[in-house]
Amino acid sequence: MSDLFSPEMLSFIAAALRSSTPVLLVVLGETLTQRVGVINLGVEGQMLVGAITGFAVTLASGSPTLGLLAGMFAATLLSAVHALLSLYFGANQIASGLAVLILGAGLSAFYGIPYVGEKISGFGSMAGVPLLGPLLGQLSVSVLIALLLTPLIGVWLYTTRTGLAWRAVGESTESARAMGINPLLIQWLGVLVGGLLSGLAGAALSVDYTSNWIENISSGRGLVAVGLVIVARWNPYLALPAALLYGGSEALYLRMQTWGVGVSPYLLSTLPYVIPLSVLVVTSGRLRQRGGGMPEGLKAVFKGS
Amino acid sequence: MPPTSSRVELRRLSKRFGTVQACAGVDLHLGAGEVVALLGENGAGKSTLMKLLYGVYPPDSGDILIDGRPVIVDSPRRARALGIGMVFQQFSLIPALSVRENLMLAYPGAPWWQGSSAGAWSRVLQRLETLAPEVHPNSKVAELAVGQRQQIELIKVLNLDASIVILDEPTSVLTPQEAERLWGMVRQLADSGHTLVFITHKMEDVMACTDRVAVMRNGQVVEECRVADTTEQALVTRMMGGSLSEDGLRIDSPRPRAHRVWMKNISATRQGEHIRGIDLKLMPGEILGIAGVSGNGQHLFADAMAGLVPLTEGELIIDGEVVVGPKMRPAIAGRLGYIPEQPAVNAVAGDLDLTINAALGRFKALALFPDWDAERKRTEELINAFNVRPPDPALAVGQLSGGNLQKLVVGRELATPRELIIACYPTMGLDAGAAQAIYQALFKQVSAGACMLWISEDLDDLLQYAHRIAVLHAGEIVGVIEAKQADRYSLGTWMTGGVSSSQSIAETAALDP
Repeated sequence: MSDLFSPEMLSFIAAALRSSTPVLLVVLGETLTQRVGVINLGVEGQMLVGAITGFAVTLASGSPTLGLLAGMFAATLLSAVHALLSLYFGANQIASGLAVLILGAGLSAFYGIPYVGEKISGFGSMAGVPLLGPLLGQLSVSVLIALLLTPLIGVWLYTTRTGLAWRAVGESTESARAMGINPLLIQWLGVLVGGLLSGLAGAALSVDYTSNWIENISSGRGLVAVGLVIVARWNPYLALPAALLYGGSEALYLRMQTWGVGVSPYLLSTLPYVIPLSVLVVTSGRLRQRGGGMPEGLKAVFKGS
Repeated sequence: MPPTSSRVELRRLSKRFGTVQACAGVDLHLGAGEVVALLGENGAGKSTLMKLLYGVYPPDSGDILIDGRPVIVDSPRRARALGIGMVFQQFSLIPALSVRENLMLAYPGAPWWQGSSAGAWSRVLQRLETLAPEVHPNSKVAELAVGQRQQIELIKVLNLDASIVILDEPTSVLTPQEAERLWGMVRQLADSGHTLVFITHKMEDVMACTDRVAVMRNGQVVEECRVADTTEQALVTRMMGGSLSEDGLRIDSPRPRAHRVWMKNISATRQGEHIRGIDLKLMPGEILGIAGVSGNGQHLFADAMAGLVPLTEGELIIDGEVVVGPKMRPAIAGRLGYIPEQPAVNAVAGDLDLTINAALGRFKALALFPDWDAERKRTEELINAFNVRPPDPALAVGQLSGGNLQKLVVGRELATPRELIIACYPTMGLDAGAAQAIYQALFKQVSAGACMLWISEDLDDLLQYAHRIAVLHAGEIVGVIEAKQADRYSLGTWMTGGVSSSQSIAETAALDP
């Protein structure tokens, strides 16, 4: 047991939480989007737009808070493109999501050129906080936001009228409409909230986690998150352990490099993708037998109707 | 009936759909605390009349009076505000959510915070406790039996403060035991002052729980009387109007010689659903009915016999030849006709036209470049023989109505003489005329020596036409009985598993009122 609380172990857990945070935020947002029966593959592009906007605004204003807000706003705007294409024009959700992904990647790369190599200061350490300082010093503001949001979203989804309405819409828009709910409005909100959280994730990545900008900074985290939504069975509470699969394996592979493991670092760097994928494969067979938990409305997306 | 006691009065209500006069100047009174049966064949206009009252369609002419005052019911929302509720055959429950969540979702006064301490729960769940105490509020709707789902649907409607409740063919999906439970609930509601309309075509519903009966035929009420003042026979005569003859539907007894079809010890598995050790033999010209509550393996059994699901064990033997078995390519082409459930999904490609869909029945016999002119001619013959409307071979099959699509599928599957016919709910949702045409086509092949496996939930049909009835429960055959010796009650007990396992016996006991 002493090993669990050793300084190395604590710093490993903190590192895992830090690298999980952007993924966790996207998983939460995408869970809500998919809960209303819409799949949004564009989260990767929204993350990138959130990251560059957040970075640029922080650099210009000196306020990382303003940066996070700006990133959220920009990504929400981009997610509105997906909502408009798929919900208003009735485009295929997969195609529309991919279009948003590529658009976001392109926009962020183009407008990000002048920011490559710039440095910002971010939120600064929380080590000075009384009592919790030694623990919080290893974490950051965005980690706390994500850890607080997880139970809040869970409680909201499972114990409020609006949460119930969202779940109903994801299962059957017809039944929801019969009960006086406006499914289209809720689906719009579901996509926009997903966009908001993916923007927060992207800005957390560039402003809080790395404090710099490089092209394609999210490097597939958004798409991994879409897969992790399935691992978490569309349950916000399970989003945290699912996201830790990514963050934990990222922290692990960075450690393994310093240990001097005789494996190519390029191969090692695939760990954060290989491990969640393996868990997905192992759990999905079992899930299918138990009915899965996939919202009925999502199944319709894959039947092409 | 003095008008003062009328809660609802329908005056000269008419509704026309295209060329069909669904309701032709119907007058009807509904009294407070009264249960009125609306009796009639499919297509008699019963459901349409009640949908006019519930605001689903606007009437072409006529008036609706509630408590003596004329009202305009232009939407279901308006109807609900007037205290009218309707339980449809298609439930609007969400299977993935729990019973309590479904009830709360439909509750108009639902609070924002719905934690377990919220006071609204007691009001939402009150009727569940009195009317269906054996249903646990935390169960998922997906886990409930059909009868229980219907009770939840009814409670949803009652929670809207509906004092006038319309039930649309409520017993058509229920086992006899579940139906009896529903009759009890209906009486309970009437005693507490509710007005109920019970749409049905079953005589036993009328006799069991209604005060008054209105018989509809061709969009008109042809008879209205107190149930106590009439007899079943009189009502049947009024309902049928003598128009429907049963002459074309005589079935010969099977030829008592060697078995023709042997389903030998069949087991199969698909997505967590199992059938186990089914062993049945059919004589030439025999109709074997498979009864059972939907979801007990019927669909899997039918698909397995049609060679669509690999068998884990067992063989289908026709005339001494194994045609379906484990690890073999099914040799059923031309020998077996399969009418699956939900033909719109399982039997046709909806975006393709009638000609292609009809030709798909003999896919292997088609040339690499099929002669489409010949196929179109064949399809036209099929369309004429089975009266498919509209008669256009180039129309996409998805455009056909349910009944016409069913006729096309039956026509395709019975195009040539078959050795085994598997029919799942072949007349579901069809009007009496169309159903009779399909029965005739099926029974003609049976008379010529085909065996027929008939999967149905409608015990009346099976009792009337099948030679023997086997009951499928939880993937196993729990009993086989000569139709002449069968009665609805023992079949119903088998259907709910009353024989095979002790746990199911407890469930059956719980269903008994």
